[in-house]
This record gives sequence, C-alpha cells and structure tokens, in this order.
Amino acid sequence: MVYITSWDEFVERSVQLFRADPDSTRYVMKYRHCDGKLVLKVTDNRECLKFKTDQAQEAKKMEKLNNIFFTLMARGPEVDLSEVTGKEQTDVQPTKRGRGRKQ
Amino acid sequence: MVLLQLDPFLNELTSMFERGTETGSVWVTLKRSSLKSKVVRNKMVTAGEAVEYKCLIRATNGKKTISTSVGTKDHQRFQASYATILKAHMTALKKRERKDKKKSAEADKREGTSKRPKKS
Repeated sequence: MVYITSWDEFVERSVQLFRADPDSTRYVMKYRHCDGKLVLKVTDNRECLKFKTDQAQEAKKMEKLNNIFFTLMARGPEVDLSEVTGKEQTDVQPTKRGRGRKQ
Repeated sequence: MVLLQLDPFLNELTSMFERGTETGSVWVTLKRSSLKSKVVRNKMVTAGEAVEYKCLIRATNGKKTISTSVGTKDHQRFQASYATILKAHMTALKKRERKDKKKSAEADKREGTSKRPKKS
C-alpha cells in the first residue's frame, strides 16, 4: 500500500490512473468518526494510491476531489478539468448530447 | 446489496454516518460503470452506439451495504447533497491553525513530551 504524503501528488496521480483505465479504476473513502480518521484510496487493481489524514482542512480538499471524480466518472475521462470550474465544462463531449444548452 | 434511488440512498447514508459515530467506519466507493455486461457493451460498440456510463456509488458500514448509480444529469445534484452530508458528519477531524500549533507546542513542552523538536 502506497501512502502518499502530498495531497497534490495524490490528486494528480489518481486522475492519471483514472484516465489511463477508467473502467477498472475506483475511488474508496473510509471514515472513522470514533478515531477521527479519513483514508482515501484510488486503485485500478494493479496499482494503489492511498492518502490518510485526521485534518479537517484535508476533508475540504477531499470534497473538491470528490467533485473531480464525479465529473470524470459521469461525463467521461476526456473531460477537461480546470479544478475550479470542473463542473461547468460540459462542452467537451459532443457525441453524447446534442443539446448545447449553455452557449 | 441494496440498490436504491438517489434520495433514499442519501438518507440511508446519513443514518449510516449517524450510527457510526460512537464506533465503526463508513466506506464510500465510487466507480464508473455502464451497468451492462461485457457482451452487451461490445455489441453496442460494434453497432456504433455510444455506451452510456454512470457513476456507481456504494456505501457500507461493515454490516449493511447500499448503492446507487448516478447518471450525467443527476451528478451535480448528487455531488452537492453528498458534499453537504460529508461536511455535516466529518466533525471529528482536527482543525489545524498556526496559532493552535504554537499553543500545542508550548503545551507539549510543559507536559514534557516534545515529539516535534523543531517546528516553530
């Protein structure tokens, strides 16, 4: 199990891992209230990246990462991720929807 | 494994967090899936149709597992509710501020347990 110490490195490598194999990559979160610990794991069943913390500020960062993964998984791995506006980038997948609402 | 709709899933997830307050963990897994078997998927690809992918979300407290699948349309709504639930329940994590660090460093010196010799 590889525990990564830097948050940014964890995020970057997880996204890379997902983009390389979106069908088998999964993101797991375990929270223990009694211990006050949060552990995140991203694996594609070949490689595994983990991150653990007990800090509230990391939980906030994790929420952003959740958003990133939701967007990647629901829309597809080709979605362009500017971390701030990750939700609003709907224009990258023209093949699925031909609606073009936001223009 | 119970497959639920979005809103019941969120309600169950909330009660899982509440039950796990004194003891126990909550695991939440996110995975992309088309919810169709390989055979069907290959057929769709050869037929030239776009395969519809969803985000599969599973939650367990070790005893009970619940799951739901979120499509492209619902994912933003789910994301917002999910974030609210997490924020409301992850209260046991430590809050770290620089002022607190100094204070705790002093407190540690007083107690005689200096784990971090250099951190100012």
